[in-house]
Amino acid sequence: MSDNLIEIEGLRFSRGDRVIFAGLDMVVPRGSVTALMGPSGTGKTTLLRIIGGQVKPDEGSVRFDGREVTSMSRKELFEMRRELGMLFQSSALFTDISVYENVAFPVRVHTDLPQDMVRDLVLMKLNAVGLRGARDLSPAQLSGGMARRVALARAIALDPKFIMYDEPFTGQDPISMGVLVALIRGLNRTLDMTSLVVSHDIHETVSIADLIYIIADGLVIGRGSPEQLKSDSSTVVRQFMSGAPDGPVPFHYPADDFLEDVLGVD
Amino acid sequence: MLRYLRLIGQETLEWLATLGRAGTVWFWAMFGLPVRGDFALLMKQIYQIGVLSLVIIVLSAFSIGAVLALQGYTQLARIGAEGSVGLGVALVLLRELGPVVTGLLFAGRAGSAITAEIGLMKATDQLSGMEMMGVDPLRRIVAPRLWGGMISMPVLTLIFNMVAIWAAALVGVQWLGIDPGGFWSGMQDGVELWDDVGKGTIKSVAFAVIISWIAVFQGYDCLPTAEGIGNATTRTVVYSSVAVLALDFLLTLVMYGEFK
Amino acid sequence: MRMRTIEISVGAFLLAGILALVFLAVRVSGVSLSGSDGTYTLYARFDEVAGLRVRSKVSMAGVTIGRIAAIDVDSAYGEAIVTMEIEGKVDNLTTDAGAQVQTEGILGGRYISLSQGADEEVLGDGDTVVNTQGALVLENLIGEFVTRMGDSK
Repeated sequence: MSDNLIEIEGLRFSRGDRVIFAGLDMVVPRGSVTALMGPSGTGKTTLLRIIGGQVKPDEGSVRFDGREVTSMSRKELFEMRRELGMLFQSSALFTDISVYENVAFPVRVHTDLPQDMVRDLVLMKLNAVGLRGARDLSPAQLSGGMARRVALARAIALDPKFIMYDEPFTGQDPISMGVLVALIRGLNRTLDMTSLVVSHDIHETVSIADLIYIIADGLVIGRGSPEQLKSDSSTVVRQFMSGAPDGPVPFHYPADDFLEDVLGVD
Repeated sequence: MLRYLRLIGQETLEWLATLGRAGTVWFWAMFGLPVRGDFALLMKQIYQIGVLSLVIIVLSAFSIGAVLALQGYTQLARIGAEGSVGLGVALVLLRELGPVVTGLLFAGRAGSAITAEIGLMKATDQLSGMEMMGVDPLRRIVAPRLWGGMISMPVLTLIFNMVAIWAAALVGVQWLGIDPGGFWSGMQDGVELWDDVGKGTIKSVAFAVIISWIAVFQGYDCLPTAEGIGNATTRTVVYSSVAVLALDFLLTLVMYGEFK
Repeated sequence: MRMRTIEISVGAFLLAGILALVFLAVRVSGVSLSGSDGTYTLYARFDEVAGLRVRSKVSMAGVTIGRIAAIDVDSAYGEAIVTMEIEGKVDNLTTDAGAQVQTEGILGGRYISLSQGADEEVLGDGDTVVNTQGALVLENLIGEFVTRMGDSK
């Protein structure tokens, strides 16, 4: 058994003419909290979808627990996905059923457990995210932070090996952000999971990650523990870690020369 | 010139790709792996699609039946054939108006709702979320709506026909004073179970397949934005209506095709 | 509890569909629930049956006593063979009974009218009515009339 739960090699993917990944290599060690950072629009969410098998890459290999995801059949994919959880940026709660039913959903679909065991399990998971009291609310009644915690309870309902967080901190107030940071770290330890966090909130990410990847232009440009990255020699990495507006990652979207564009007749 | 040709080529390819995606959605939804609780999901969809459409179907059927009786009576009474009103109304309803009007109402009432609902689920990542939980949304979300539509539509058509014929009898016999014996026996002499009721029901099943398919696919394939969902809902109603009318012509030609 | 309401209303919905089908079958297309038992078959040959349809009625003195089951052509004689299903209770049609293709109203549908004869022998299942008169074709009549008018000038 390899030490890495996820192994990505030579990943290439382009959408239309735009190259999103140009030969990306990456591993997620077992039991770690690995963070994936990078400017917006660099395909971080796409990478999560590729790992989950929702998007097929043009080239390269993606292995989940030693199994090749890219060549799986539809059926194998659905079986693999039972071992992973994903927390969407939009929470993706089912809006037509209650909080309780949302968390119970994966349990009911994938197991034959009797009703009272489902109940115990759901309440346990809701308790873990501190929302046992909110079980009868409908998703529309939840605040953004609460919705994300319910989604987290749902993602861990079946004790997955691996959980992916897509921008978990975006749009959260400082308190919910703190709660989420504590939850991600805590769940990783207590449930013995492996986590992959996609984010560009540097402080929060640095505080929980064991290993950080920084990607830009379809390639890994920095890799290491938070301490290593802070003292990285690459200017791009340093621009990102310090949040400078302009630098090697340009402020402007590629365009013609400004003067020509403004003065030009055509 | 070459530019136009290229444009036509691109459009054709785009269209073929869409058809391909639509075919895949239909195939996986119809014949994918069953999941637990399929029956309850189907039940809920028949309720949403069929039962909740009843009011509009019954109201429309009533007014269409009544109007047909009135118009038929005014025309046929001039040549002293008001006894044929029952037969005329029944044939027109069973063969054409029943399935077609039910289909159009169904597209507007249920088809648009299906598209909007699935589109919204897509926009809020509920479909992706489900997929990542190892649950196939085609099976869980799309299939029950597809089957629900295909079961509800023929039932709605039968109810539509019954109500419309009953309304025609009410207007014709009770109000305009057509002889009830002639009304009903004329109908019974001219209407045949298979040729009229049976083939009409086949039409409604065909319409159900095409409308449900268009509705779920437009929802599943829409751009996950507010505008995208709006456009997809409009497309569902427009495409379904056109498809129903065109298919009706084809089916009439094939099933009653004694016109050489 | 909510699920229960849904189940009940779906059940009622499907039941309404079945009732509608029964209504359309029995009341509208006139399928009798007793089915085809209790009938027997008679044949009749006509020289002209234009406008007659399968399932048109067969009547006697204006009362429906049966239906037309099939219409075939005997090309050797240039005649139509009409198969009629007559209700079992009408069991005393005589061998010289007459069959006539008639029209309901001036533009209405065609049907067969049977008239009772005086013979002692009675027609049974599978027998043929010999004494027949085919359909009057309006166009032929008018044609003939016009020709005669021309001749008499």
